[in-house]
Amino acid sequence: MFTHYIDLAWRSLRQTPLVTFLMILAIAIGIGVTMTTLSVYHMMSTDPIPDKSDRLFAVQLQPMDDGETWATGDDVPYQLTYQDAINLQALPGDFLRAPMIRAGFSVHLNTPQSKPVIEDARVTDSDFFSMFNLTFIHGSAWTAAQAQSAAPVVVLDEEMAQQMFGKTDVVGESLFLGERRHEIVGVTQKWRPNIKFYDLNNGAFGKAERLFVPFSHVKAYDVDTWGNTNAWKFEETRDFNDKMNSEMVWIQFWVQLDTPAQRQAYGDMLMAYMQQQQKLGRFNREELAYGLQDVNAWMNYNKVISEDNKILVGLSFMFLAVCVANILGLLLAKFMRRAADVGVRRALGASKRQVFYQHLVEVGMLGLLGGAVGIVFAQFGLLGVRQSYDYYNNLASMDWMMLLSAPVIAISACILAGLYPAWLVCRTTPATHLKVQ
Amino acid sequence: MFEIKPTLNALMRSKLGAVLLILQLAITLAIVSNAVSIIQDRLTYLNQDTGYPETAIFKFNSLNFDKQLDRLQQVELDEQQLRNVDGVIAAAAVSSVPLTGSGSSDGVQLKPMPQESKRVNMGYVTGDEHMLRALGATLAEGRDFTEDDVVVSDGDGRLPSVIIVSRAVTDALFGPSKGLGETVYWGTNPLTIVGIVDTMANQWPKSSFGENTALIPVIRAGNFQKFIVRTAPEERAQVMRQIEELMLASHRERVISDITGLDQKKARYDARDVLMMRMLMTLIVVLVIVTALGIFGLSTFNISKRTKQIGTRRALGARKSAIVRYFVVENALICTMGLMLGAAAAVLLGQQLMQWYSVPALGYSFIAVTAGLLLLMSLLSVLMPALRAANISPSIATRSV
Repeated sequence: MFTHYIDLAWRSLRQTPLVTFLMILAIAIGIGVTMTTLSVYHMMSTDPIPDKSDRLFAVQLQPMDDGETWATGDDVPYQLTYQDAINLQALPGDFLRAPMIRAGFSVHLNTPQSKPVIEDARVTDSDFFSMFNLTFIHGSAWTAAQAQSAAPVVVLDEEMAQQMFGKTDVVGESLFLGERRHEIVGVTQKWRPNIKFYDLNNGAFGKAERLFVPFSHVKAYDVDTWGNTNAWKFEETRDFNDKMNSEMVWIQFWVQLDTPAQRQAYGDMLMAYMQQQQKLGRFNREELAYGLQDVNAWMNYNKVISEDNKILVGLSFMFLAVCVANILGLLLAKFMRRAADVGVRRALGASKRQVFYQHLVEVGMLGLLGGAVGIVFAQFGLLGVRQSYDYYNNLASMDWMMLLSAPVIAISACILAGLYPAWLVCRTTPATHLKVQ
Repeated sequence: MFEIKPTLNALMRSKLGAVLLILQLAITLAIVSNAVSIIQDRLTYLNQDTGYPETAIFKFNSLNFDKQLDRLQQVELDEQQLRNVDGVIAAAAVSSVPLTGSGSSDGVQLKPMPQESKRVNMGYVTGDEHMLRALGATLAEGRDFTEDDVVVSDGDGRLPSVIIVSRAVTDALFGPSKGLGETVYWGTNPLTIVGIVDTMANQWPKSSFGENTALIPVIRAGNFQKFIVRTAPEERAQVMRQIEELMLASHRERVISDITGLDQKKARYDARDVLMMRMLMTLIVVLVIVTALGIFGLSTFNISKRTKQIGTRRALGARKSAIVRYFVVENALICTMGLMLGAAAAVLLGQQLMQWYSVPALGYSFIAVTAGLLLLMSLLSVLMPALRAANISPSIATRSV
């Protein structure tokens, strides 16, 4: 029966090519606009590390005196002070943890032929690699002893290795970061999450770093952040050492806690830590506070999805509603004109229900066609987005989920538009139309 | 004369078509007026004067990695070499570059920290006495920095004693047309305002304190140094091409990067707003087309349904103009209802947007103008079907029963 309906629908659509064309155009434009904005929205809100996003937590402490405010929803700064980061790193317990900053170096091979390039680097601990699912293709992370002694070691990703050496197996070779020679201990697989969720301070969609050095280098070699440093109170900071001992916040800190019990225990540890620090004259506040948010909560807290995008998604769904109203009008016109045909079919024994379904199939087919054309329109829309803002290059694209949603939304919209006209036409009394013939 | 009563009666008989049109027009008005208001807001921002001749300025970075290097001397040498290039008007090493979205911000206040006093947030740039000239900003009052004003941070312990600020800073601290010669505190460090620039945007022109800018004569010898260079606009490209070679020739062990015009930097900083504007404009255009097609389609359908009635009216003596008028009046009635509903929807949507997002309040004039244009569009889309209806021959009415 269904194939018969499809056949009927196809004939009907071909009977009135102009109206069919207009209807498909309307739904296609609606889907094109909606899918363009929705795809960007979807890519911005996709879980960047689905298998463990609920086990990785960004740690925040509230170091500020009572009454101080911050640009976050709960007035707790995004980042930690250096001293807190170092102390949290030393807390006992069997869980992965990684303090980190973004720094940068001029990278070269110290040969006359190699032209130095400026490259961002992540300064962090070796736990970083297992926490954030980086896989080593050669070598491994630096050892605890190397981190302890701030040995000049470096891990790079395969793309960086290829760029500098023309091959990926470069473990044991030397790479110069500025004037310092570093030994390459590991090469990781290329790792480029769409959203730089582990450090959202300088734009959420920047490129992930391709170089990694131990966090102990911060102190050993005065490696300063290339990200944000924020102060909340006045302190004399003459040099880098003052900065490390100050109340300025500039370090990101992540932990991996696998069970709710671990999470609870870690929260208690943070409270105990702050109470202990209070005795040293820090954390001058009535109520101690910390933040422990998993990846998705963290992205939300950092407002990763731009306001503009939310507004556009809202407006484009309203636009889709206009398209639906439009199609409803056209369908009404088309179906009512066919009332005579329906009268004959009804007289020949078709039930109301059958007539109703037949028309819904026709409408669904419209939706499918419109959705397909809409995907093409959306591709143009996304191309336009990429061209006017290359920062969105990775985001302005449709994944398979969006490709599937397009026809689903299109068909639902069309069926919504077609319900009333189909119902109207199936109520046709056969007698009146037979009389006219 | 417009036969509103019978038109209304006829409308009431086929409500659905009218309701659909009303809904379409209402949503269209709500979307378009809000979108236009957002576009207008961004346009105002984008067209704001930053105070700099952006097309005459470019910036670049130099990252040194030679530990033995006397960095201070190298910066001095670099500046000198830049000034010797043909076409260069001024050049300065600076801590950060305005309009780029990155740099340092801090506050100045009327009393030294930690005393409580009136405080203003600002973006600040540090550099030597060539800074203001390299930025091409014009002093409205006071004087530029001199060589004696410039201090070296971490040097002999001297602190800066003077500051040049934008008018927005003095306005906020001292009130209009005051401030020159007054003292402000940067932390505990007193600074005398020696110069005021009327318009001078900081590193974040989009932010709430985007017009609060300060120049402070401090040079800091780091391994990462930013430079700004001003040339005649037509010579900028040719100077930019020489930079890397020139800089590397004087000192090899460094990387020169991001040689970019200030206008390009600003365009990058604004790219998101431009994207939003383009998206909204596209939305408006397709929306208006779809709505116009909808009106056209429904009027055509209505007319074909009423062919016989039109024929009868013509046979009974109605003029062609009466038929056209009928459809135009009918459309105007529907349109008015739609636009009234739409105006309410627009206000509601505007309020919602303002409540959740940083969107400016929707001016009623936007709604009025948009409504006027939609009415015009609607009448134009009904005109062609109406004229066709007027040409229906009276004989049609008598031909079939």
